[in-house]
Amino acid sequence: MLTYEPGDSLAHRLDPRTKLAVQISFAAAGLAHTTPTGLTVLGIVAAASLYAADTSPLSALHAIRYAIPFLLLGPVIEAAQFGAPWFDPSAAVTPTLASIRVLLVFFVAAAYVRTTAVRESRAAIQRLVPGRVGVAFGIGVALVFRFLPVVRRDLLRVREANKARLGDQRRVDERLATVAAGGLRRSFARADALALALRARCFAWNPTLPEIRLTRLDAPALVLALGLGVSVFL
Amino acid sequence: MATEHESVELVGDEVVANVARAALFAALMGAGAYVSFPNPISPIPVTMQMLVVFLAGIFLGPVWGGTSIVLYLAAGAIGAPVFAGGSAGFGALVGPTGGFLWSFPVAAFITGVIVHGGFALRDYRVGTVRLVGAMVAATAVVYAFGTVGYSVVQGVGLVTSFWTVAAAFIPAEAFKIAAAIGIVRSDAIAAN
Repeated sequence: MLTYEPGDSLAHRLDPRTKLAVQISFAAAGLAHTTPTGLTVLGIVAAASLYAADTSPLSALHAIRYAIPFLLLGPVIEAAQFGAPWFDPSAAVTPTLASIRVLLVFFVAAAYVRTTAVRESRAAIQRLVPGRVGVAFGIGVALVFRFLPVVRRDLLRVREANKARLGDQRRVDERLATVAAGGLRRSFARADALALALRARCFAWNPTLPEIRLTRLDAPALVLALGLGVSVFL
Repeated sequence: MATEHESVELVGDEVVANVARAALFAALMGAGAYVSFPNPISPIPVTMQMLVVFLAGIFLGPVWGGTSIVLYLAAGAIGAPVFAGGSAGFGALVGPTGGFLWSFPVAAFITGVIVHGGFALRDYRVGTVRLVGAMVAATAVVYAFGTVGYSVVQGVGLVTSFWTVAAAFIPAEAFKIAAAIGIVRSDAIAAN
């Protein structure tokens, strides 16, 4: 699983806002220039991002293995035809280029995930989304990270208990309902406890956030983001 | 540290409760990506995520139900392992199945609007026809977004797209709708 790992690579030292800008402009540039030349340039940028993040392309590929069948199926189905000549490779060109573009976007996103801590992302969200919406959004996202492993364990426990009582021999919808109802009950209980705890600790609209600051290192990355963004309109 | 110097502004009780519920629902949505059951009618396993989308609309209402799924997407985009197969990152949102992800908040909102008959939270124990109608409408939205998304991202026609990402998955939604009805009717959950 590809997750954040502490480190001192170049990408670790960049401001999270810069990295978000690069990702979004990269995806937009990919959509605008899905041509062999465009993808070669973007491929170089993607390779540079992985290098700057000290991440191997293989681990990034492994993290997105579920999406690979969809990337391969598109070109194959588009090229297949009912009737002679049955297979038309020229029809597969556009979907193949699209699949390569998607793969490159995944690589750049993997570099972000690998090098950005949750608290930095949260600070970036709260600075980018103005006002109370940003604060609520930032705290909500941080809480999702905190509770994901807990809720996962809850679901697993309900499932195991259900299995021990031969629940796995019942119909799929009944099993789904049992596991979901158990998970839901526990999640509501946890939400009530959490709300009480937040109130007890004076949950406020103006919390103290970790500092994030644009440095000289960010300049080339911001220029890259700007360049990719401008290229969309060329 | 970026210290705030003004006086502390407390968040109102109702908002605290709703933020906590939305965050927990988003975590449940993420955890649902790891729970799958063998499908009796197709080799593709049944996952819990669409069921959580329905339940978010039913139990939290259109506004907070939709918000909770937006939180799920944001957490996934910045690195929580909550997308299919425990993957994470902004790439999934613009990837081949990105259309499905973008449709989830809309689907939760639509389920909520139909079940609660508006934007405000009312009793979710409504008639079965209305519940099923809400979830069928949400399912239609999800597959429409998903099909168009795959078609745009992969550069294939809508028909190819439908057969690749939608046709084989639609029948299993009936199980999730049945499960959601079962949960609402069982009184196992005492929300609100």
